[in-house]
Amino acid sequence: MPYIYINIILAFVISLIGTLIYRSHLISSLLCLEGMILSLFTLNALLSLNINFALSTIVPLILLVFAACEAAVGLALLIIISNTYGLDYVQNLNLLQC
Amino acid sequence: MKVINLIPTLMLTSLIILTLPIITTLLQNNKTNCFLYITKTAVTYAFAISLIPTLLFIQSNQEAYISNWHWMTIHTLKLSMSFKLDFFSLTFMPIALFITWSIMEFSLWYMHSDPHINRFFKYLLLFLITMLILVSANNLLQLFMGWEGVGIMSFLLISWWHGRTDANTAALQAMLYNRIGDMGFIMMMAWFTIHLNSWEFQQIFLTNPKNTTLPLLGLLLASAGKSAQFGLHPWLPSAMEGPTPVSALLHSSTMVMAGVFTLIRFYPLMENNLTIQTSTLCLGAITTLFTAICALTQNDIKKIIALSTSSQLGLMMVTIGINQPQLAFIHMCTHAFFKAMLFLSSGSIIHNLNNEQDIRKMGGLYKTMPITSTAIIIGSLALTGMPFLTGFYSKDPIIETANMSYINTWALLITLIAVSMTASYSTRIIFFALLGQPRYPPLTQVNENNPYLVNPIKRLILGSIFMGFLISMNTIPHTTPQMTMPPHLKFMALAVTLLGFTVATELNNMTHNLMFKQPSRMHTFSTMLGYYPTTTHRVLPYPSLTMSQNLATTIMDSIWLEKMIPKNLTTMQKTAASLVSNQKGLMKLYFLSFLLSITLGLLIAL
Repeated sequence: MPYIYINIILAFVISLIGTLIYRSHLISSLLCLEGMILSLFTLNALLSLNINFALSTIVPLILLVFAACEAAVGLALLIIISNTYGLDYVQNLNLLQC
Repeated sequence: MKVINLIPTLMLTSLIILTLPIITTLLQNNKTNCFLYITKTAVTYAFAISLIPTLLFIQSNQEAYISNWHWMTIHTLKLSMSFKLDFFSLTFMPIALFITWSIMEFSLWYMHSDPHINRFFKYLLLFLITMLILVSANNLLQLFMGWEGVGIMSFLLISWWHGRTDANTAALQAMLYNRIGDMGFIMMMAWFTIHLNSWEFQQIFLTNPKNTTLPLLGLLLASAGKSAQFGLHPWLPSAMEGPTPVSALLHSSTMVMAGVFTLIRFYPLMENNLTIQTSTLCLGAITTLFTAICALTQNDIKKIIALSTSSQLGLMMVTIGINQPQLAFIHMCTHAFFKAMLFLSSGSIIHNLNNEQDIRKMGGLYKTMPITSTAIIIGSLALTGMPFLTGFYSKDPIIETANMSYINTWALLITLIAVSMTASYSTRIIFFALLGQPRYPPLTQVNENNPYLVNPIKRLILGSIFMGFLISMNTIPHTTPQMTMPPHLKFMALAVTLLGFTVATELNNMTHNLMFKQPSRMHTFSTMLGYYPTTTHRVLPYPSLTMSQNLATTIMDSIWLEKMIPKNLTTMQKTAASLVSNQKGLMKLYFLSFLLSITLGLLIAL
């Protein structure tokens, strides 16, 4: 397969590992989530341009819309945690309480 | 020889003369002092000219209907400006003009030091014009214009001293109670439009519909509102916040008569409907007794006279209820004279005692104010129906006819009790205000030297003595009066009046020097006007205000905008999430195990 796809899929995999492995701050996980979505978006756009399938150019746009909503939800969660604890350290989330 | 019929011409001339001072205020600066005399002279000339059509009518019994100007036609409803000059309006107009003339002359003395006296006279003249529009209207639209006009002028005149809170409240009260009556009036107009397609009296009386209970109930409600019957009565004692000339003109002679006058106008419909007659009778009887009870223990001289007016209005309703509209009309005309005179005399007393209205602080005026005390005594005697004074020619036939009619006994009894109470409270006024030793501060100067004060009272004294005789001798009765009756029924009115006089005089003389104890419950009931204003004015507005406050803040702001979706959603989600989840929140462990399983899967597959 063309080299460019491998490049972007590698970027995706690195971001995925970044989402799943992080030390203490929750926001670094959310940042890597954004990276995943960015790489997926680029992959979709390049794919629909190279295959010359015009109808699939809408797929990156829909992906962008849902990504925006999801980022907003993630940030809202971050703010609620920050309201109760002052920081977003993951070791604080040990109370099973809202 | 050609004889020109002068009734329509002269009546229109008289009405146009009245509107001329109003036009001069539109054209020029009315800060000059001669506006007052222009207005008074205009009313005098209008009175003199309006006497001629009345005398022509008495001589020839010829009625006139003037239909002037076709305003508009809405589908099939024709609206035009038309005047009905029959017995009722031709007799009432000179009387209203005469009384207004006297009151305007009196207010030249009473309101002399008022800086806005020009405006006061303009309001009085506007009131008179709207009252005459009401009286002479031939269709319901014009009558309604006059109706609303007198309501508005009443509002403006009661709140003349608008810096005083009580005056503003009283004016609002008058307006609101009149409005409740107006609902009935509009219902009546709507019924007539739907069923008879006309607002002209001629068409309504010609078609003589059979099921008139609903519009006549509306008319009864309208009259109850305008004429202060029981249930819609508190505005009349409160309306004494206005100046005394206003009380004399509006709330004794003319405006409160508007309701009774309209009921009298509709007598062809009412004589066929027994239900309405009985309701009118009972309403009038309750009114006359209740307000007479309340008048017995009041301490403000104007309030006593106001409640006396209300009691006489109830008596007029009783007369309409026994199907004698003409007797009610004659009582209306005669009552105007002596009630206006009583108010003018009380105004004279109030001003001379330096604005003292409490009868407990008057006294001994019999010697110092002879003309005023004569007026009060003659007025009270006429009010109670002393034989051969004015009130006798109207009140005595009413009581006799009521005694001989097929009537509700309870209504008859309480009317008679109210007649005796009339004598009691009149005696009370005379005793406290005129007799005995003075109870007011001695430094006030008491004099009656001003001709503007004395001449109106003298004219009204003449009217109070002779008008009853003149009116009843010169009019043709519509129904034959009762000629024969048992002697105890014939003397009933006189007997209860004398009873009231003697009981009141005895009580006053006996208790004059005793110490005043704590008032009994009956006394407090009577002084507080039966607790009616105290309860109704709180019970009725309070739910409306709380409901509107709840609707605006709680339901709209608090529930719909805040609680319904956002907070509900939050609580629901939190409860659901905490119910179903059984995880311990070890995020990093979960993520690492996910990564490991993915890597292992990829390694094994590839």
